[in-house]
Amino acid sequence: MSLAKCLEILSKYYLSFLLGIRTTLIVALSGTLIGLCIGLLVGGVRAIKLDKTASGFNKTLKKIIDLILKVYIEVFRGTPMMVQAVFIYYLVYTNIVRWDKMVAAIFIISINTGAYMAEIVRSGIQAVDVGQNEAARSLGMSSMQTMMNVILPQAIKNAFPAIGNELIVNIKDSSVLMIISITELMFQSNSIAGTTYRFTETYFVTAMIYLCLTTFSSLILNAIEKKMNNTETSLPQSDTNFHSINIAKKGD
Amino acid sequence: MPIVEIKNVQKHFGANEVLDDISFNVEKGDVVCLIGPSGSGKSTMLRCINLLETIDKGEIIVLGEDINKISDINAYRQKVGMVFQQFNLFNNMNVIDNCILAQVKVLKRDKEEARKIAINNLTKVGMGDFINAYPATLSGGQKQRVAIARALCVDPEILLFDEPTSALDPEMVGEVLNVIKDLADEDMTMIVVTHEMGFARDVADKVVFMDSGIVLEEGRPEEIFNNPKNERTRQFLARVL
Repeated sequence: MSLAKCLEILSKYYLSFLLGIRTTLIVALSGTLIGLCIGLLVGGVRAIKLDKTASGFNKTLKKIIDLILKVYIEVFRGTPMMVQAVFIYYLVYTNIVRWDKMVAAIFIISINTGAYMAEIVRSGIQAVDVGQNEAARSLGMSSMQTMMNVILPQAIKNAFPAIGNELIVNIKDSSVLMIISITELMFQSNSIAGTTYRFTETYFVTAMIYLCLTTFSSLILNAIEKKMNNTETSLPQSDTNFHSINIAKKGD
Repeated sequence: MPIVEIKNVQKHFGANEVLDDISFNVEKGDVVCLIGPSGSGKSTMLRCINLLETIDKGEIIVLGEDINKISDINAYRQKVGMVFQQFNLFNNMNVIDNCILAQVKVLKRDKEEARKIAINNLTKVGMGDFINAYPATLSGGQKQRVAIARALCVDPEILLFDEPTSALDPEMVGEVLNVIKDLADEDMTMIVVTHEMGFARDVADKVVFMDSGIVLEEGRPEEIFNNPKNERTRQFLARVL
């Protein structure tokens, strides 16, 4: 393997690589975000503990929903995404609609990520102290209001490193989606390697590109995490609020 | 008519009989202190009044309603505030937002009004200068005073205190007890589970002594503390006073 050849391939085929990078990032980012939404919904529902005063009907309904969600999680965590990709793509393509490959790719990676996110969110919720829930409910807030305003924000903060990890995983694992021939980075690399017959050099360049993408993502995620932690432990800055205190005193 | 009536309440966790026939009343404007050894069911009793626990037998009548038959639990809980041993301030919000949230969500107040009410209550508990602080930066005593202000913000008719000073170091106990005393002077109806006997003696209108799930003795604080009739009460007080 020669570095000179690597650079030659990069300079000659950089447009193809860029197209691949673009597709990979679109699929990984949207897959992670949509997956997070699925995870919040599924994990949130799974973490709901019904009141001790809840009716028998609600308790049964909750059990059935829990079971369905559990099956979803087990199926999508327990089978390879590559298999999910071909199966779902052709299932829909031959029976329902001739869908766009890009839409299919984002759908598959989202629903796969959702299964992992659901468990991440659920563990994040369980890590929030029960006292937070009790305090909110004792003020008269409903379980939904409590979840949205008190529990989930803290759960997401708890789970942020794991959520960020899913983005990194998706940048790399979206490579299996080349099986349904979307033009992501791995698919592009295969084409280039096939054209140049320089397999080692081409895939070395590919590996370096993946490494750059994941490293850059880690840096951004770390910065966000640091910022989140800072707001809740830093001392308050004095601002114009003394003004409003004075108003309140006058109003007494 | 009493504002809270506890009638023959029983509650067990598994085989463990936590409340075994509890009855007592709370009059409007009174401060009732629940005292007794750990594990006697005081906190469980309080949690049942706020429906954080359900009872197995008996009745709890609050503001004329049997609380285990009401349909809108959230509306009921807004009228009965609770202050916890572990403060339980919302960690993801600063002090002022802790006090605003339930006002906006439960009482549907507009944000400006809620903010004014929050600042009034925070000033009342001596925390008016800390409205932008996050809970993680406050001392235990400060957190508990914010928690009291937060409970006051939704205009409760009764306040329940579950060992409000047990997680505090001795220096901070005083600042929290003083806030509760001030509320007593304003005739707020309060039920306080406490191990602070000095506080119970000074502030309570009625003291209820509980042991292993039953009320052994109740009465005015001077009766309970000076002339306890029950042998078990005498033993307990001799050890803690």
